[in-house]
Amino acid sequence: MPEVTYLEALRQGLREELQRDERVFILGEDVGVYGGAFKVTEGFLQEFGERRVIDTPISEAAIVGAAAGAAHMGLRPVAEMQFIDFISCAYDMLTNYVATARYRAGLPTPLVVRGPSGGYVRGGPFHSQNPEAAFLHTPGLKIVCPATARDAKGLIKAAIRDDDPVLYFEHKFLYRRIKENLPEDGDLLTPIGKARVAREGTDLSIITYSATVWKSLEAAEQLEKEDGLKVEVLDLRTLLPMDDEAILATVKKTNKVMIVHEDTRTGGVAGEITARINEHAFEWLDGPVLRVTAADVPLPYAPTLEDYVLPSTADIVKVARHLAAY
Amino acid sequence: MTARAPVTAPKAAPPIPAGLTREQLVEIYYYLWLTRSLEERLTNLYRQSKVIGGLFRSLGQEGGSVGSAYALREEDFLSPLIRNLGSMLVKGAEPLAVVRQYMAKAESPTRGRELNIHFGDLDKGYIGQISHLGDMVPVMAGVALSFKLRNAKRVVLVYVGDGATSTGTFHEGINLAAVQKLPMVVIVENNGWAYSTRTAQQTAVKQLVDKAKGYGIPGERVDGNDVLAAYEATKRAVERARAGGGVTLLEFLTYRRKGHAEHDAQGYQPKDEIAEWAAKNDPIDRYEKQLDETGWVSAGERAAIRERIDRELTEIVTTSENEPFPEAESALDEVYANPPRLEPLWYRNGSNA
Amino acid sequence: MARIDVIMPQMGESIAEGTLSKWIKKLGDEVKRDEPIFEISTDKVDAEIPAPSAGVLAEIKVQEGQTVPVQTVVAVIETEKGAAITPSTAARAPASAPPPAPPKASPAPAPAAAPAARPAPASVAAPSPSPAMRPAATAAPGGNGTETADERLRRLSTPLVRKIAAEHNVDIATIPGSGHAGRVTKKDILGYIESGAPAAVPLAPSAPAGPSWPPGAPAATNPAWEATPWEGDRVEPMSRIRQLTAEHMIFSRRTSAHVTSFYEVDFQHIANLRAAHKALYEQRGARLTYLGFIVKAVADNLRRHPVVNAAVRGTSIIYRGQINIGIAVALDWGLIVPVIKRADELSLLGIAKTMADLAERARGKKLKPDEIQNGTFTITNPGVFGSFIGVPIINQPQVAILGVGAIEKRPKVVTLDDGTDVIVPRVTAMLSMTYDHRIVDGADADRYFADVKKMLESYPEAAV
Repeated sequence: MPEVTYLEALRQGLREELQRDERVFILGEDVGVYGGAFKVTEGFLQEFGERRVIDTPISEAAIVGAAAGAAHMGLRPVAEMQFIDFISCAYDMLTNYVATARYRAGLPTPLVVRGPSGGYVRGGPFHSQNPEAAFLHTPGLKIVCPATARDAKGLIKAAIRDDDPVLYFEHKFLYRRIKENLPEDGDLLTPIGKARVAREGTDLSIITYSATVWKSLEAAEQLEKEDGLKVEVLDLRTLLPMDDEAILATVKKTNKVMIVHEDTRTGGVAGEITARINEHAFEWLDGPVLRVTAADVPLPYAPTLEDYVLPSTADIVKVARHLAAY
Repeated sequence: MTARAPVTAPKAAPPIPAGLTREQLVEIYYYLWLTRSLEERLTNLYRQSKVIGGLFRSLGQEGGSVGSAYALREEDFLSPLIRNLGSMLVKGAEPLAVVRQYMAKAESPTRGRELNIHFGDLDKGYIGQISHLGDMVPVMAGVALSFKLRNAKRVVLVYVGDGATSTGTFHEGINLAAVQKLPMVVIVENNGWAYSTRTAQQTAVKQLVDKAKGYGIPGERVDGNDVLAAYEATKRAVERARAGGGVTLLEFLTYRRKGHAEHDAQGYQPKDEIAEWAAKNDPIDRYEKQLDETGWVSAGERAAIRERIDRELTEIVTTSENEPFPEAESALDEVYANPPRLEPLWYRNGSNA
Repeated sequence: MARIDVIMPQMGESIAEGTLSKWIKKLGDEVKRDEPIFEISTDKVDAEIPAPSAGVLAEIKVQEGQTVPVQTVVAVIETEKGAAITPSTAARAPASAPPPAPPKASPAPAPAAAPAARPAPASVAAPSPSPAMRPAATAAPGGNGTETADERLRRLSTPLVRKIAAEHNVDIATIPGSGHAGRVTKKDILGYIESGAPAAVPLAPSAPAGPSWPPGAPAATNPAWEATPWEGDRVEPMSRIRQLTAEHMIFSRRTSAHVTSFYEVDFQHIANLRAAHKALYEQRGARLTYLGFIVKAVADNLRRHPVVNAAVRGTSIIYRGQINIGIAVALDWGLIVPVIKRADELSLLGIAKTMADLAERARGKKLKPDEIQNGTFTITNPGVFGSFIGVPIINQPQVAILGVGAIEKRPKVVTLDDGTDVIVPRVTAMLSMTYDHRIVDGADADRYFADVKKMLESYPEAAV
């Protein structure tokens, strides 16, 4: 099996779906001629033509709105936000129109909105955001965050095939930094709504997603070597709908849980997970549910500042040790 | 030889314009009156607290809605705004569905989830709006995009008001459709008022049709209260789109004779202005006069139509009045295709909201 | 005839009231459906209000000029002719109905008066309640005598540990804690339970934090009475089981009102039965012992004297449904009490076999937690070491314990048939029963024991 990067896996997934289903098409800024700002759709215009890969004006709201209209008519659009930071320009269309379309009007809206999110790249406040919390509380949307190359491919394919609107938040730091051997044949799909145990453990659980999965795995290695702790790492993969079963299972297994995400602390997804654990697994806890998150500041540019603000492996190790000893 | 009195030929009816048949003129008449009568019934129901929520009338604007929608083919799509009930009726929306929708009944087209005329029908070719003005323009551009991608000779028609032309989504949607040369007609119904804001406070252009230039598309200004003129102008724009000519912007000049909604006393609108339009420029009055003068449709026939509408609406209102509200727990259905139903909160367990 | 309410409509989102500015129709007038019958005036608009149905304006409840809340009934229409006319009443006290919200931009849905809903399918299970534990003391940050957060953590630990403690009937406060603030961790409690320590009693809800003995809680005593080591002494830490036993003994004495009654039982008859049936029992893989007969007699008679097979809970008495006889066993490493469950349902043979099995496994440290819990009455056997009589301490939370003294031949006065008294050797033993006088009175104890004694002294041979 050949080794592919996270980005290549995403590209493979998109290409396979475009080949498989003629209703699928891509629209966004610079996706066609340029092949996408990060080259995710490189070669697609040549391969599929301008009816399947559409270069749009700078109009996130119209991109999403048009995707919705096309989806109502039976097509399967995949709209790109050049940086996910710009998804907020389409917040109205996504939350007021797209999320409610089926519920209020029976309108099928099987679209995908995808884009590179996340930091650790010295991108500053507008090229590093993690927007999942802004949409988590919007009924009618689904949200996925692949952490591995396999899931980058599996989730984009699943998202395109899903009959509901899906927000697909890929992580730009992971694009070229992680590689995995993926099978060349077969239809690689990751089910939406199912988490994955990235590492088995018995003493403590880390619940996480996207780039911090890798930091958590690093921390788990260190904790095993230095402290003899067996840490379980649960990669959520889907945030909406969240895999409650997997979350409860890991709580019942280790009885000590911490949640790690790159997004800011207040109103971040960790609060929601903690509330669910509290409601459904309270008597399984042998310690408080702790969080490792970014500090509550707009993401700064300078390396010393960004490194201070975003969660690090050292943070995870420290909090895990505290929890293990609780 | 005996002299004979000269025989005068009976005065011939002038030819019906725009390629319409007499039956079509009758139909147009029906839709005009259906729109107005239905809204009047709804007003009564509102004042009887049987219509819940707001009521937005299109009194004085029926001609633009009916005439323009009439220019579409069955396979074309439109998206109405709150004062385009006439366009929905032309597209085949049932008056009973409208009443049920207003009365929040379980059998309403949105099963009680949305109010007034925010509903659609993909089979009949109309998509209901949401309250955020301008948002339907990109959506309908998307519908038009699907026609283009599939090489279908179908067109979309989307209505906006004078106020909606100020929104970002209006701008982004038209711009995207224009540059992609999508088969779309945008009708800007300039009725002079966006709630209490005059058009002159809404925009610095002298005429809304001037905005077309900014998008690189043709525009036309139309007497919106002349139903046949509305029909003709829309037909031209629709056929142009169908032939691959892209987007056209039509500005319909009309007037909002009632307030923003039924709860708005419209004190900010000068009473004489309202009175003037009512007396001299009502679309139905003008059409009636036109039919009187031309003889295309007799007064008797018209009276029969109005009577029929009256009877039908009475029956419809009675039917709808006696229907139930949606079951409380149906609120959990259809948020997603999958799963199709959500779990109630544990502490609700079957109780009413 | 139907009466139709005519209500003050809401014309606008924030409108909560309206003024009835003019009655267009009069009381008694016939009205047609949709005909205007009155005018209203609100902050936003004035409007004519049409009749909701045809009929007669039968009642006027709100007068011209009156301002009433939205949804107030202003009039009543009767839908058949000849309806009686009620004189106009003063406006009713306004019903407080939540005003429906009409839309402008994004409308909030109005609370609709829904008809009875169908019963819903089962909803998500309620979050499992944490096991009922003792009520929490206020966690004040120390100082004024109430518990600190750390103290509470020490006593209550975490939800998981409390759950395990409840399942195993273990008192957290007696377990050494290795976690944060000295709290008992999952590892601590599981390790403790796996070592086979007997179940301790959870503190009664009203009891303050523990007797003065266990580690961690400082004893409030006179330093002169404290034991300190001298030269030549050897100091050994107590084993866990020793700690627990010590703790239990003090607790028991401080909890129950200990009273002991003594009974002499003639075991000659049983001695004879033993001799006769010993071999048979051995064939069946059991030993026929005095203790076996005693257990049987004790168990069989508890049904008729439920207060001796009970427990105290605050100001309630728990009459146990089961009869589970614990037998105190002295092992090398400490005292353990295996329990014969539902002893009243076993035959003498069954009891003998169970006792043998439990004893063997007790010695081999193979008892399950379940087998050392939930006894309802205990028997202890000080006589096995030669003691004439004992004064046992009650095994909490039970209310009675039977002590068996040495069983041996002793002289006894027996009256012959002809009236002469002779002294004969009889196998005899002194049995003592300590009971909790909070709920067991002397008469209760004696009546119970009379039955036990009778059964032992005339045990039916057929039941052996």
